[in-house]
Amino acid sequence: MRSRAVWSAVLAGVVLALPFLGVDDYYLHLLIMAGLFFLLAAGMNLLLTAGQLNLGHTAFFGIGAYASALLSLHFSLSPLWTLPTAAAFTGFVGYLLGRLTLKLRGAYFVLVTVGFAEVIRLVATNWMDLTQGPMGLAGVPPFNLGTERWTLVSKRDYYYLMAVTAGGTLFLTSRLLGSRVGRALAAIQSNESLAESSGISAYTHTMLAMVVSCTLAGAAGGFYAHYITFLSPELFGFQNTVTMAVMVVAGGQGMVLGPAVGSLVFTFVPELLRMATFYRMLLYGVILLLVVMYMPRGLVFYLKALLRGRAGAPVSSEDAGAGFAPEALVHGDSAALAVRGVTVRFGGLAAVDDLSLGLGRGEILALIGPNGAGKSTAFNVITGFQAADAGRVEFDGADITGLPPYRIAERGLVRMFQRTSVFPEAPALANVLTACHRLARTRLWELIFLTHAYREEERRHRERALGLLHFVGLGRKVGEAAKNLSCGEQRLLGLAIALAPDPSVLLLDEPAAGLNAVETGELMHLIETIRGRGLSVLLVEHDMKLVMGLCDRVVVLNYGVRIAEGTPAEIQRHPEVVRAYLGSGEILADA
Amino acid sequence: MLAELVQHIVNGLIVGGGYALMGIGLTLIFGIMRVVNFAHGEFFMMGAFFLFTLFSLWGVNFFLASVLSVIGVGLVGAVVERVILRRLRLQPIEIPMLATVALSVIIQNAAILLWDPSPKTIRHVFSPLPLTLGPIHVVSIRIFAGLVAVALILGSHLLIQKTRIGRAMRATFQDTDMARLTGVDVDKVYMFTFAFGAALAGASGALLGAVFWVYPAMGDLAALKSFAVVIMGGLGNFLGAIVGGLLLGVSESLGAGYISSGYKDAIGFVLIILLLLWRPQGLFGKKVIHR
Repeated sequence: MRSRAVWSAVLAGVVLALPFLGVDDYYLHLLIMAGLFFLLAAGMNLLLTAGQLNLGHTAFFGIGAYASALLSLHFSLSPLWTLPTAAAFTGFVGYLLGRLTLKLRGAYFVLVTVGFAEVIRLVATNWMDLTQGPMGLAGVPPFNLGTERWTLVSKRDYYYLMAVTAGGTLFLTSRLLGSRVGRALAAIQSNESLAESSGISAYTHTMLAMVVSCTLAGAAGGFYAHYITFLSPELFGFQNTVTMAVMVVAGGQGMVLGPAVGSLVFTFVPELLRMATFYRMLLYGVILLLVVMYMPRGLVFYLKALLRGRAGAPVSSEDAGAGFAPEALVHGDSAALAVRGVTVRFGGLAAVDDLSLGLGRGEILALIGPNGAGKSTAFNVITGFQAADAGRVEFDGADITGLPPYRIAERGLVRMFQRTSVFPEAPALANVLTACHRLARTRLWELIFLTHAYREEERRHRERALGLLHFVGLGRKVGEAAKNLSCGEQRLLGLAIALAPDPSVLLLDEPAAGLNAVETGELMHLIETIRGRGLSVLLVEHDMKLVMGLCDRVVVLNYGVRIAEGTPAEIQRHPEVVRAYLGSGEILADA
Repeated sequence: MLAELVQHIVNGLIVGGGYALMGIGLTLIFGIMRVVNFAHGEFFMMGAFFLFTLFSLWGVNFFLASVLSVIGVGLVGAVVERVILRRLRLQPIEIPMLATVALSVIIQNAAILLWDPSPKTIRHVFSPLPLTLGPIHVVSIRIFAGLVAVALILGSHLLIQKTRIGRAMRATFQDTDMARLTGVDVDKVYMFTFAFGAALAGASGALLGAVFWVYPAMGDLAALKSFAVVIMGGLGNFLGAIVGGLLLGVSESLGAGYISSGYKDAIGFVLIILLLLWRPQGLFGKKVIHR
């Protein structure tokens, strides 16, 4: 932490001193352009952290540029006012486009943003009255600090203005990416369903990233307009977006310094290629291709790996979080869950048919049935991942039918998924920390300005995460990436993730799948402890030893219909249950 | 009035056939390989330039030159898949996407060096006089382009539905791992798919290049439009690409005729935005449920 502050101060000193170290105007101009592209790339990176690549980003750059230029030309306002206004307006346009497109994922989002930029380009080219079309907008006033007397003239003036702006952007993006917002964005990319079921709204967070990134692009556009003082529709060209995307990806996506390094390198590389004259763009393409092919995770990633390799990776095998008692971490006020007459049809087939069940406070209830009986569908309805065609789900007396998953999780109803219930790329600790999201009470500005309350909250959540990892027996695997854990360990990590939001009701979808007998025993003990702390548990499970040994009651589904309910002992003798399982024979053989 | 309307629709359908060809290529590549091919416009451009070179510069027979151009573009596609995309198969979606962006920069600038940036025409073998059917006039090269587009679309459909490689493609589309387990050579399917998609784009470029102009940047707009086509039809959807292509061609033609020719190229994207408000998964796409 301390060394980071020192490095930042040194870097800031170098940046501020550069114009006095004999750097001439040509290089100052390049540095200004690199700064400009940094604003654009940093914004793009923010959204890409959530897995959304905006390949129409240059449209926002252009919108900001034209907005600030037109405002200052037509109303003779100082760029000091028009630039922020233009940035805010661009952010608003980003909000509108986000409303329309953020529900799209992956390639769809990419292609729609490409199309958006093309529409804006055509408007800028054809709306002659406003933009003067392809002739371009000339005579945009240079930047001033409120009055014309304080007009920025030299490259050095603009260099300092850009240094401050870029510094601010670096600060803002590093705070966002280094806080729970960044964790949430990464979680959305890594496992969106799990993020939602941990109480993270994918929409809200991607929208935040979209608006911030578009506002930054608008600011960059405004800066460009008053710096260059001439605008043309070429600003909206696809080539610009490509340059930004290259800077992000080649620099290192998802990392704070990625766009900074990327924008510096890829502003200077084309300049170095000038001596290649005719072959310049061709060479540029080849360099691009080589970087993408051989450094897909970006320069910063490989630099970091290099540095870490030399310093030796920090290895810690101590059992972290050992000092925490589970009482402090797990305490349900045990709300009750009631499912009333829920029906789900896929086509003509009823996957779940008029299902009703009640989960009492502090109870462990198992939902069992042969494959395809509708157990997972029932789980999906309860947790908001699947709409019901009929029926209601009540949680703690309130109707939660049709609420989005993250809202249901916010209320304290949290699930664990069947297969991947982890964020594979992230370390175990970050996995659990991410899922503490719903417990956060601090505001956005608090995390940006690192207030005392925010730092305290982060510390508490960190301790909580460590404690939970210790509780499930992963205290020695804190720094291990989730994907490197064994199958059993991943299930345990999934359980810790599900406990992180401090739920009162826990839904476990086949928690023992893939576990050996010893691990299953440990898991049963954990679930028993959790219930002892007052949580209610609803689980789907095929392992009959676990079901019969752990549960208070069992509900049996077959072809979507509830065929039996009772204590484990009653269920084992129930004639219809025996008939449903006949052939598989698993229920009696295993128990 | 009516005649004018029909004339616009006919013109739109012919251009739309070219869009559909591009769209099918793009949608197959995406559906099977999960690659958004930003070099698609360059394959389109190469189709036109290969035809220009073979026919206009070297004097090869027009029809033979057309066939050779399409095969040539397909071969380039196969090489690209083998040398570049195959190595990036396990990367997140934006990495192969950016590789195709880089590729498009390379190919387009290579074309500028090889053939200078000025627009060229292909003096094809068809009569410049229009064929007249009542009040509708269509020049014969356009009829040729339209017919060839229809034939290629039908041919692609048959290839996918009736042949061995087509069956392997469908299997890979549904579930790559299962396909591999049942003995499908997925590497071969990927290579063939990319080559085939590229060849369709090349065919589209050769046809529309013979009707309009040939120049190195001609693929930019064509690529954007083929994106519009596949989003409209649903990514990975064959029928969607055909309907999307024809729809785009006709609405552009009508838009240019009745609204404004300046905004003609924006129509597709405005259509997309309207469509997304109503059906985010495209006309024929299946609704994606959370994983």
